[in-house]
Amino acid sequence: MPSNSSVETADRLSRKRAWLAAAAAVLFAVNQTISRPAFVSGPDTAHSAKVTMWALTAVVLLAILATGGGLFHRSGVRSLINDEVSTLNRRTAVAIGFWVAMAIAMGLYFVPEVGSLSARQAAYLIVTGSTVIALLAFSYLEVRAHRDA
Amino acid sequence: MHEHLRNRLREERARLGLTQADLATLAQVSRKTINTVENGVFIPSTVLALRLARVLGTSVESLFQIPE
Repeated sequence: MPSNSSVETADRLSRKRAWLAAAAAVLFAVNQTISRPAFVSGPDTAHSAKVTMWALTAVVLLAILATGGGLFHRSGVRSLINDEVSTLNRRTAVAIGFWVAMAIAMGLYFVPEVGSLSARQAAYLIVTGSTVIALLAFSYLEVRAHRDA
Repeated sequence: MHEHLRNRLREERARLGLTQADLATLAQVSRKTINTVENGVFIPSTVLALRLARVLGTSVESLFQIPE
């Protein structure tokens, strides 16, 4: 059975995770809006570094969405952080991200102005947009779950 | 409160003088879970409903009801 302190620790970490998820999503969105590595060409090394950073960040953020994070905490605390409510919130956020990805993809397909985009640029927009929205949705659902607790 | 499920979790918890953190510890869940169940934001799984009922010394049927 978890101790009262485990519950308090999990509560604190879960609140922190919710706000960090929102902050990470906003930072990712702002950074990509500024750097736009899929749309701006530059010196090969610098450009490759930007693209690699984008891909790595996206993978890390998606891994947090997939696992809930907390890998560095005791298993008891981790299971409390990722209990039924968090699992449901993550699933909901991933579903929202999926539909956003579909909407962006359909938009890219049908809007004539974006017809000249390369497959890489389209993939960049889909991954970035859906990841940001999924993270923001997860953050909102978690903050709402903590409200009045 | 969820329109398809009412619960008496808050009342039963108060009857025993437990805080949300106390009940969370006894039921081996997070305080967030207790909070969302009490507020009707989250419908617990069968396993969690049974665990909550056991911890509170009551039955699932008296803890959760479908409105007529």
